[in-house]
Amino acid sequence: MEASIRTGEKETGRKKVLISALLFMGLGHLLHLKQYLKGLFYAACEVLLLVFLPKIITGIGNLRTLGEAQPHLPIRERANSMFMLIDGIILLAVIFIFIIIYIISVRSALAAYDQTSSAGAKKTKQGLNKAFPILGLAPGVGLVVFFVIVPLIFSASVAFTNYSSPGHIPPNNTVDWVGFDNFVTLFGGDATWAGALGRVALWTVVWAALATATCYFGGMLMAVVLKESNLRIAPLFRMVFILPYAVPSVISMLVWQNLLNGTFGTLNRTLRTLGLISSPIPWLGDPWLAKFMVVLINLWAGFPYFMLLTLGSMTAIAQDIYEAALIDGANKFQVFRKVTFPIVLYQTAPLIIMSFTHNINNFGAIFFLTGGGPMVKDSTLTSAGGTDILVTWIYKLTVNLLKYNYASVLAVMIFVVLAPLAIINLRRTRSFREGEL
Amino acid sequence: MQPKTTKVNIYTIIVLLFLTVSSLLVLYPLVYVVSAAFSPGNSIASLNIIPFGDGTTFKHFDHLFKNTNYLIWFRNTFVIAAATSICTVFIASLSAYVFSRFRFTLKKPMMMAMLILQIFPSFVGMVAIYVLLLRIGGLDTLWGLVLVYLAGNTPYNTWMVKSYLDTIPRSLDEAAIIDGASHFTTYLRIILPVAKPILIFLAIASFTAPWMDFIFPKLVLRSAHKQTLALGLFSFVTDKKNEFTNFAAGSLLVALPFILFFLASQKLLIESLGFSTVKE
Repeated sequence: MEASIRTGEKETGRKKVLISALLFMGLGHLLHLKQYLKGLFYAACEVLLLVFLPKIITGIGNLRTLGEAQPHLPIRERANSMFMLIDGIILLAVIFIFIIIYIISVRSALAAYDQTSSAGAKKTKQGLNKAFPILGLAPGVGLVVFFVIVPLIFSASVAFTNYSSPGHIPPNNTVDWVGFDNFVTLFGGDATWAGALGRVALWTVVWAALATATCYFGGMLMAVVLKESNLRIAPLFRMVFILPYAVPSVISMLVWQNLLNGTFGTLNRTLRTLGLISSPIPWLGDPWLAKFMVVLINLWAGFPYFMLLTLGSMTAIAQDIYEAALIDGANKFQVFRKVTFPIVLYQTAPLIIMSFTHNINNFGAIFFLTGGGPMVKDSTLTSAGGTDILVTWIYKLTVNLLKYNYASVLAVMIFVVLAPLAIINLRRTRSFREGEL
Repeated sequence: MQPKTTKVNIYTIIVLLFLTVSSLLVLYPLVYVVSAAFSPGNSIASLNIIPFGDGTTFKHFDHLFKNTNYLIWFRNTFVIAAATSICTVFIASLSAYVFSRFRFTLKKPMMMAMLILQIFPSFVGMVAIYVLLLRIGGLDTLWGLVLVYLAGNTPYNTWMVKSYLDTIPRSLDEAAIIDGASHFTTYLRIILPVAKPILIFLAIASFTAPWMDFIFPKLVLRSAHKQTLALGLFSFVTDKKNEFTNFAAGSLLVALPFILFFLASQKLLIESLGFSTVKE
């Protein structure tokens, strides 16, 4: 009898807290829970939002129109579409964060009520310590929201505008939403651009696959030879092989670029002096040879990483497996094929995926070696050269041609290529497999 | 085991030959950088094809220190790298501790978002970052660049440290909490010391990355006294001028500490890379 009255009381009390918490942020804490500090903090959040509400509404309105053309005004006073776009996205992010805080405040009010009513008026721990998870995450999450997520949404949005040279560069002119126009142009509306896109996209995937495969197997070969050779000077060779990994890639790629230069490069001059060639070989001047050289030089720079990786996972293999295999009469090659290789492959497989995504985005290996060149048929219009991959083309479109809209379409395409890999990446993580996520 | 001398001989020779040829190929460009740094000429065209064939000189190093901003580039890069490294360790370890040890609203979606974000190259949002920095006055400042690096690294690094912390028994920090330590004290006194191996790895990785980066410094830094090493060295070998020997001298000075460090720490490198494969 008494118990049922108490549960009834609790229900109505709970409802009161819920309603007041929903009405105004922090009201539940202030009225019913006597958690004044927390309540004031939440209330301050909502007051701030209400004070800035007119500005927020204008901002969202601007995001919709991106400003009207005002040719009669001096340039400094014209509406700047890019500022409007970024402000609008930041405002959306702020509103999103506000909604999350709102949900948290209501949940915390209910949780606090349940706690006090069940365990009596237990003194809650000091506020700062309780807020630790929020304070601890704040710097990281804040940075990621404003410098990673907002820019990503911004780029994705620009793909649907006409933000490009010459006609639509703020602050001189405004930018407008154009729907899927850019996608239509790049995916077939304009033969030259569509051709260049197909060529670059295909080469990006081929490049990433070749670069990953060559470095992986090259590195593994070196590791196995070093490990199995039993030479006393093997550590010396290992030291030499680590060198390309240790030299910053900007430097090594620029050095290779100069060594391979068709007219005055050291390699051609050496070959000529030795009498091996009569006319210079355009190492980086011919589209196909350049593609080959890019993969080859990337092997030079990239195999040490996988060599170290293989060495590392080989030392982790228990010695008794080898002994068992040897006792069973396996020769060295069989041991490698049936024992070492499967174990190493199993352990490094996730890193192959990571390396593939790294190579899709491997700006340095292309840009500093060939600059994306050599020129091909459509290069003058599209600026995409024979060895350009998507990321280097994005760079050129942004910095040289100021075609931000097309660059953003390419960025969206990288999303599309990488998103499945991100999901695979997620599925292989331990916390996902163990059901924590 | 006794070496089977006669049978192994031919095999050893082949392996030795293979390793020697590979070493020569690996060393080929590096030898030319070293020789170019001390060679009297200016461009790659005038460089002798036999390394050190023109005699040696220190005039390029002299030129770097006297006529260019090399020292300023070096200082800027060092400041950026050190700040990035310290802040990265602090932010990543703090959020990793929260993700690893606390339950809270929206934990799962946030972790998923971190994992998916880490796969996108941060310069996809290049234009937005430019406008953002313009609005907060971070253009042409070193801290603006540090902010960009920090944000770009955070998702991946948080995951890496979190995975490491997950392997550490919870009883360790729970004991501290029971003894009355606050969460922050626990983080400072218990978590940071036990996570030291991964944090050192993180510190080194985030310290080395800015030395090689090109796109963001190019985007953010404008004035001559705010340049970084990558920008400065690149300016020696653009299409307009080819000062390959100056470039080589400058590169040698940057690469040497890196090479010495990598050679000294190769055991640690192999171990930590081995760890990353087993634990992932």
